[in-house]
Amino acid sequence: MTEPEQPETKPASRPNPDPESGEVNLFSAEFAGCPQPVYRGLVQKCPVAHQTFTGGKVLSRYEDVLWALRNPQIFSSEMEMQLALGTERPMIPQQIDPPGQTKYRKVLDPRFSKKRMLELAPDVRRHANELIDSFIDAGSCEFDQAFAVPLPCTAFLSLMGLPQSELPFLLRLKDGIIRPQTLLDGEPTMEESQACRVQTGKDIYAYFEEVIDERVRKPGSDMVSYLLETEIGGHKLSREDILDVSFLLILAGLDTVTATLGCNIAYLASNPAQRERLVADPALLPAAVEELMRWEAPVTAVPRIVREDFTLHGVAFKAGEMVSLQIGAANLDDEEFGDALNVDLGRVRNRHMAFGGGPHRCLGSHLARMELQVAMEVWHERVSSYSIAPGETPVYSPGIREVTHLPLVWPAA
Amino acid sequence: MKLRVDLDKCTGHGRCYDLAPELFDEDEAGHCVLLHAKVPAGLEPKARVAADNCPEEAIQTTA
Repeated sequence: MTEPEQPETKPASRPNPDPESGEVNLFSAEFAGCPQPVYRGLVQKCPVAHQTFTGGKVLSRYEDVLWALRNPQIFSSEMEMQLALGTERPMIPQQIDPPGQTKYRKVLDPRFSKKRMLELAPDVRRHANELIDSFIDAGSCEFDQAFAVPLPCTAFLSLMGLPQSELPFLLRLKDGIIRPQTLLDGEPTMEESQACRVQTGKDIYAYFEEVIDERVRKPGSDMVSYLLETEIGGHKLSREDILDVSFLLILAGLDTVTATLGCNIAYLASNPAQRERLVADPALLPAAVEELMRWEAPVTAVPRIVREDFTLHGVAFKAGEMVSLQIGAANLDDEEFGDALNVDLGRVRNRHMAFGGGPHRCLGSHLARMELQVAMEVWHERVSSYSIAPGETPVYSPGIREVTHLPLVWPAA
Repeated sequence: MKLRVDLDKCTGHGRCYDLAPELFDEDEAGHCVLLHAKVPAGLEPKARVAADNCPEEAIQTTA
């Protein structure tokens, strides 16, 4: 007797994305380490995909992502699942739609304008040099902990008027929301990760309750003091408003530039010809920072919830469905970039979406650009010839792509 | 060459005043302020670069 032949339902290795089923896995460590082939598959073969594990649809082409970002009446940011990020209320202004969102942006945008951010550049430059002083003679460093974490986080804490001594505590709160798996033992279940987020959310609210109390007693020139004085339509911001803005700022401010610096340096350490081009021509730096953001897209995607039924690429979208807009994939669409797979550090036309677009354009984009330019400039002035330590492989965290393990070496002095 | 900015589209990316500060400035909120509706001679390439890099397609050049 022979066993009846099993139908081949599960080949050993399915393509990701799978053009037949339309399924895509966007949460593996493999994807975080090298997302570009997956993005290309999405753009070329699966303009509408379905997420494995989390469910929800995925849009990837530049034109589609742009359309979604610019039309919040169809693609809302008002999730009925704030709890997913451990918050009790929407984060302001990220999780509310215009016109309400516009009022908050009017008072927040001036605090994050390019002119204001450039005032912080000398401090960032001095700090970058101090950090490099501390390890340059050794000829090696663990880039994430030695440079990518402390540099932007220090600048952000001084902007917020929070004590530098609290950085480890605040980083733990931030990771408890963004990547709870790093704080939990073993491989936590979805439920365990979620419980960690909810508890961390409570801790963040409690922390900022205390900060607000302090600033009410003793106002300064920091962000929370500014928010306490801010009026919208003749009314001061409520305590809840200030908590909801602070929650967002701490998550965004302590993570994204760290991740971007790691992705940029990991790329250049692994691509010596590109690194040499940049070192030989420092005038390329502003364009190079933009191009590396296009290629790496450390914030890989943004979520939206569908408000109106529509059909796109022959697929019906229903009100209430979650859609993930793949920033990283849109950045690799030849329709927009012509030669999207070519990393051209001198790219002249570069409408990449690393900072999103439409009304929710990243509030901190001018802070991020200043920090990235200063950090990349100082780094390449001081440590021009670096590479990944022999035998080592960088490790990227899923979600926001922080390079949590990036051992570098260079010729010691 | 002439420049036109649709301020309803501008969301404050700031690429225009990053790339062509001779032609654009920022207002208090970081949104675009057009300095020269008629592009001064020699700055045409910069005007094109600014228009090409606006993620919101808010800047138009006309001959």
